[in-house]
Amino acid sequence: MIFELMIALTVGALMFGTGLYGALSQTNLVMIIMGVELILAAALVNVVAFWRYLHPDEPAAQMFVLIIMAVMAVEMTAGFGIAIARFRSRGSVEMEEARGLKG
Amino acid sequence: MTPQLIFLAFFGGAAVWFGIVVFRTHSMVRSALALLFSQTAVGLMFLVMQAEFLGVLQIMMMATEMSVMAIFMVMFMMDPGGMGAMEMTHQKRLSLWSGGIGLIAALAVIWLGNWGSVATEIPDAAQQVADLGRELLGRSMLIFESAGLTILTAMVAATMVAIAPMKEKSK
Repeated sequence: MIFELMIALTVGALMFGTGLYGALSQTNLVMIIMGVELILAAALVNVVAFWRYLHPDEPAAQMFVLIIMAVMAVEMTAGFGIAIARFRSRGSVEMEEARGLKG
Repeated sequence: MTPQLIFLAFFGGAAVWFGIVVFRTHSMVRSALALLFSQTAVGLMFLVMQAEFLGVLQIMMMATEMSVMAIFMVMFMMDPGGMGAMEMTHQKRLSLWSGGIGLIAALAVIWLGNWGSVATEIPDAAQQVADLGRELLGRSMLIFESAGLTILTAMVAATMVAIAPMKEKSK
């Protein structure tokens, strides 16, 4: 059973690395959101694996999965709200053109 | 090799592979579909790990979310089909190093850590849902309600930001 846990956690680590690369390397806002979604999916895999193989009698772990899903929804909602505002004012969601947001 | 290990490795490999495809293709629609397949593979991993409720929830939620994302891609992109093979990346070296270091650090913790004894028996699906329901309406109620309120606030705020009058129009 320990190998199943290791496989699930390794998948989570690989998804985290891929998502981090995507979030940092992409110039398009929607693609950056995709990278963050992958990172959060990695967190989901880890939490479910910890619940299944280490603490199956603890329903709080499953509740935490629902919270991460809520964070995914909030992140996407806020991201697309900003994307629409940006597209309406500048006609583009390219982040190379949004350097002014640095302040 | 147990069937659970084989299916976990198969769906895990699919989740990672489609996750990589998201950033390798020039087509934004293909990127959204690859992310949908990746998230579906994650949902299937949940089913393999006997978290039936969470697995089905993940697949249903991500199918909707990624479909919306594909629509936004087509709306916003100059070249959603990727026919022009536009370069849409920057700071590649920094990104590769960051992703690589994050991956290696996580793998080191996973493979060098002592995880103790692993559980073999888990509650059945009906019992899991019952326990989760009691958890949500019991000691975690405040957290759960806060999450719901946060989503509502984000929806209202995002709508307000998106429909705010532009400077040219307000003149």
